[in-house]
Amino acid sequence: MSTSSAPVTIRANAISKVYGEFVAVHGLSFEVRKGTVAAFLGPNGAGKSTTMKMLTGYLAPSSGSVEVLGKDPGVAESRIELARRLGYLPENGPLYLDMTPRELLEFFAQVRKLGEIDKAIDRVVQQCAIQEVLHKPIGKLSKGFRQRVGMAQALLSDPDVLILDEPTSGLDPLQIREVRKLIRDLGQQKTILLSTHILQEVEAVADTVIMVHEGRLVFDGSVDELRDGQTLEDRFYALAGAPAKAKAKTTAASTANTETN
Amino acid sequence: MGIDWSVIRAIAKRELGSYLGNPAGYVFLTLFIAATGAGAFLQPGFFARNLADLALLNKVMPAILMLFVPAVTMNVWAEERRRGTDELLLTMPVRDIEVVLGKYLGALGVYTIGLGFALAHVGVLAQLGDPDVGLMASTYLGYWLVGVAFVSVGLLASMFSGNATVAFIVGAVGCAGLVFAGTAPWASGIVGCGLIAGVATLIWVAVQGNTDSAGYVAVGAGVLALIVWLTGTFESFQDTFGLLGVDRHFYGFGEGIVRLGDVVYFVGIAVVLVYLCTFMLGRRHW
Repeated sequence: MSTSSAPVTIRANAISKVYGEFVAVHGLSFEVRKGTVAAFLGPNGAGKSTTMKMLTGYLAPSSGSVEVLGKDPGVAESRIELARRLGYLPENGPLYLDMTPRELLEFFAQVRKLGEIDKAIDRVVQQCAIQEVLHKPIGKLSKGFRQRVGMAQALLSDPDVLILDEPTSGLDPLQIREVRKLIRDLGQQKTILLSTHILQEVEAVADTVIMVHEGRLVFDGSVDELRDGQTLEDRFYALAGAPAKAKAKTTAASTANTETN
Repeated sequence: MGIDWSVIRAIAKRELGSYLGNPAGYVFLTLFIAATGAGAFLQPGFFARNLADLALLNKVMPAILMLFVPAVTMNVWAEERRRGTDELLLTMPVRDIEVVLGKYLGALGVYTIGLGFALAHVGVLAQLGDPDVGLMASTYLGYWLVGVAFVSVGLLASMFSGNATVAFIVGAVGCAGLVFAGTAPWASGIVGCGLIAGVATLIWVAVQGNTDSAGYVAVGAGVLALIVWLTGTFESFQDTFGLLGVDRHFYGFGEGIVRLGDVVYFVGIAVVLVYLCTFMLGRRHW
């Protein structure tokens, strides 16, 4: 669990992403402190994945700036240094379907220039429980196993920061429980930002919540602050049901609360 | 810090593996050997000439390659983008140039393997006559160098779309421009207009950071180039763009002559286009 005195690991400064006429992310600003599991909450199409892509350096923001572990992913050298300490699970867990999990992990270990490849692979295979499918083509694996292989890939370099885009998407209830437990365990030492639109997930794993709607920040604070004496579901509907502009006050108030705490 | 060849090797190996682990790769190799074999031996003049060489294949080889090479490269980026795996690759601690070179060398490796199988044609010639070893070596070096250039054209084309068919068409049109430039004045003029439109569009996309209005820029630059060409404002328009034609640079290799200028032409195209791919990748604006 983080404290407000812990150093900031992830910082977004008024980032926007514009595609032609469409503004996917509007001047988003937030911080995630070291040792925090932060849930990036929002309905589908809120701009969560786009923001995560900007944090990892895959996409360049149209305006604003990003800093992760003190590095700007927009600068080539900085991005490479950051990538060594960053694990990323993109949305829908894209993988090379023609490879086996073992081949895939070996490939990314080589690309990451890891020293003890076998040791690193053994560790993530244990963590993500993928021993039984290690030599089967990924294309023939179930969605749940694919997602776990994606998690194993993200954990391969034992990163300081994990950015996970809907890590429990497509998993069955048992697998969801395992992945959530893994995230909680990892959250003891690492900074984790995970996107989700599932409220139970927020309650189960998150220390803090950053909620976006229509590309705008609508809440930034702890889970208790989000609850605000109501059920999370009611608060989610209240924040995501109305146009984002109307909720500027909520955001400002929540930010003020966070800073006070 | 310089380029890390171990990363490039890993990416190239993965490209090669993905191609050769796929039935489509073997279909390509088979069709490539069949097409080049037909180009070499099934033409009416082959036996009448009574010469153990590949002169007839040399005439059609650039045209064969302008279709086959984009078929190899069409998936290089398009497939990554379609599956979303580019997101993994481009968030690894690797330089853009390492990714581009890895993919380029992987695709070139597939073409080189295809060309290796096509060495069987020399075996056929050896059965029929006594082919000149030096001439065969320079001819195959020429084929390979055409591939060196065309793979870079296909790689760049593959970056434009997540759709492999579009990538193939764009790649084939790009290679066709190089094949037809210099063959006739009108062809050189059209290639010149296309090239000017393409360069203007690339500059526009690079400066803007997105593809908004890129179509207008392409059409505008193309029309402007057409006016310059047809009104004779720049008299050497056709001759200048005719110099870009593959034919005039490939011809010498088929005659057993290896000119440094020709090697520089093919390698130069690859260097420029690989650099362009790296530049576009560095923009991270798709």
